[in-house]
Amino acid sequence: MSIAKTSTPTAPQELELASNRYRMIMAAKFTVNGFARQWSHCHLVSNYLARFVSANEGDPERNATLLSTFVNELLEVVYRNHADDGEIDVIFRKRGRHMVLQLTIPVTDQHRIFYRMAVKMVNQPDLKAWFRARLEEPAEGEDTMLGMLELVAVYRCSFTLAEPAGSNRLSLFLELPEVDEMGEV
Amino acid sequence: MSSSIAPPSGTGVPSSGAPMSMSPMALNMKVSGDGTDEHEISLTGTLRPFAAEEMASVRASLEQAAFSTRDSLCVNLKRLRYMNNVAFLELNRFLRWAANARPELRVKFILSSVIPWAIRKFQVIAELYPTVSIEVYDKALYPTQTVLEDDEFITVLRMQEKLIWNHEQDILALHGLRPGLRVADICCGLGCFDIFLQRDFRPEYLISVDHSRPLLKYAQQVVADFGLENIEYQYGDAAALLLADNSFDFVACRLSLQIFHQPEKILHELVRICRPGGRIYITNEMLGAAVGYPNTELISRGYRAFLEVSRQGGVDLDMGPKGRSLLQGVGLEDIKISQINVSNTNSDPTDLARVVELWIRVAWQFGEAAGADAAMHADVEKGLRSHIETILSDRGYAVWPIIAASGRKPFRTS
Repeated sequence: MSIAKTSTPTAPQELELASNRYRMIMAAKFTVNGFARQWSHCHLVSNYLARFVSANEGDPERNATLLSTFVNELLEVVYRNHADDGEIDVIFRKRGRHMVLQLTIPVTDQHRIFYRMAVKMVNQPDLKAWFRARLEEPAEGEDTMLGMLELVAVYRCSFTLAEPAGSNRLSLFLELPEVDEMGEV
Repeated sequence: MSSSIAPPSGTGVPSSGAPMSMSPMALNMKVSGDGTDEHEISLTGTLRPFAAEEMASVRASLEQAAFSTRDSLCVNLKRLRYMNNVAFLELNRFLRWAANARPELRVKFILSSVIPWAIRKFQVIAELYPTVSIEVYDKALYPTQTVLEDDEFITVLRMQEKLIWNHEQDILALHGLRPGLRVADICCGLGCFDIFLQRDFRPEYLISVDHSRPLLKYAQQVVADFGLENIEYQYGDAAALLLADNSFDFVACRLSLQIFHQPEKILHELVRICRPGGRIYITNEMLGAAVGYPNTELISRGYRAFLEVSRQGGVDLDMGPKGRSLLQGVGLEDIKISQINVSNTNSDPTDLARVVELWIRVAWQFGEAAGADAAMHADVEKGLRSHIETILSDRGYAVWPIIAASGRKPFRTS
């Protein structure tokens, strides 16, 4: 697998996130130990958060089903790639009709490399063709990244990464596609 | 990498029973087909495994079906609510295997537009393999839907809802509706009934489902404009609802079974979501008994032709009297029947005339779609125009009959 040299988009800055362009929807915090105890937590947490966040949408259930699909995919990646201790912070914000999810997780150096590579990969040009090629000829150990790749290539989500200096945590930003009042992408 | 990747707990595919939403692998799998021309495998519930190995029974069934069918394999995912990428990639591996092992086998994924992630996900697969296709099944299930979505129809539909509510509100208590219930309104249309219901019957929880985006958008706009709360609108398929079993005290489906060519599919869903002891309430028209004086014979002939044209389009606008039988047929007890007579003397005759005017147009559209002959159209138009004259006449009397029926879901089923 070769990744083309492209410039990866930058994550929104703290000041920007605090501006009125972003509207806070909800925040949640839980320990990585508790989360990683059971695989079903990915499913349960993503469904719970998605339903909560969708409460004021025109069709809450449809919106929640779609949102849960995206959040679950990301939580599954985090379940497989995180440091042993620390906390996971989840923040949902809205920018216009786009939902922006910020997931801050504890990482080791090895995980940091994984997330850098994953974000770089999902920001490749002609991603859909790449995704299709990966489905045709999957390589060993690629499954986890393909989940993220699909979010971008098929559902037009976007990923960025923020790494505060000197911290053993990093933030993944997942910007969801515009969803209309009927929960339609 | 971290050592904290725990193996999943409590996973596995149950062989039967309702899907459990608490588990990431709450899956029902059903295999059908006689192994000759077409085989179908339905996956229902949640499919979010930790590893592809958890899909072993699904994969084995798919491979077995691929070998035992002659022509095509349908993978029915219309009620699969959640699927993660691990499961998707395993399906992709099966397709790659099938492309080699059974290159002539056609595989069709049956999807529903109600599942918001599904169509995009499987479109990629369909583009990748020439023998793979997708079918959005609910587009075919609602053939009359486009007729019902234009602006003029919406205007008259609102009027119709108001006309009916003025009489229906008096009978709802007889059918078991009272404040504080959990209510589902399936095929809610514009949602006017739900607004009246919220105002007059104060349900604890009210969810309203329809398969028409324009009608739901209208309903949501009304709710937003008036700042109404506690009504949740949901885009859904009445024949495959995403609502839990036994979860509502009162399930309504008004003037809708009559426009589906497979009403029994919807009825089974209404029963499924109703709790034991709860009631299912349906209304349907009885246009065979729509009467008027003067011009009685002309009006009767017009409605007979209208019913015939509608039947050709898969719609039964004389379903009302069948309500009792329909509810008994799905095992309900304590059946109650009421007749709602909207007439030109108990309602605004101008509004009633506009409703009948709309039927003339609907008849043309149904007839056109069904290829009905011109003579029949002429009978419809002549008869219904006479009805309008009668409705608006100071000396005339005209009735639009609707039958309401309800039944209780038994606590124990044999």
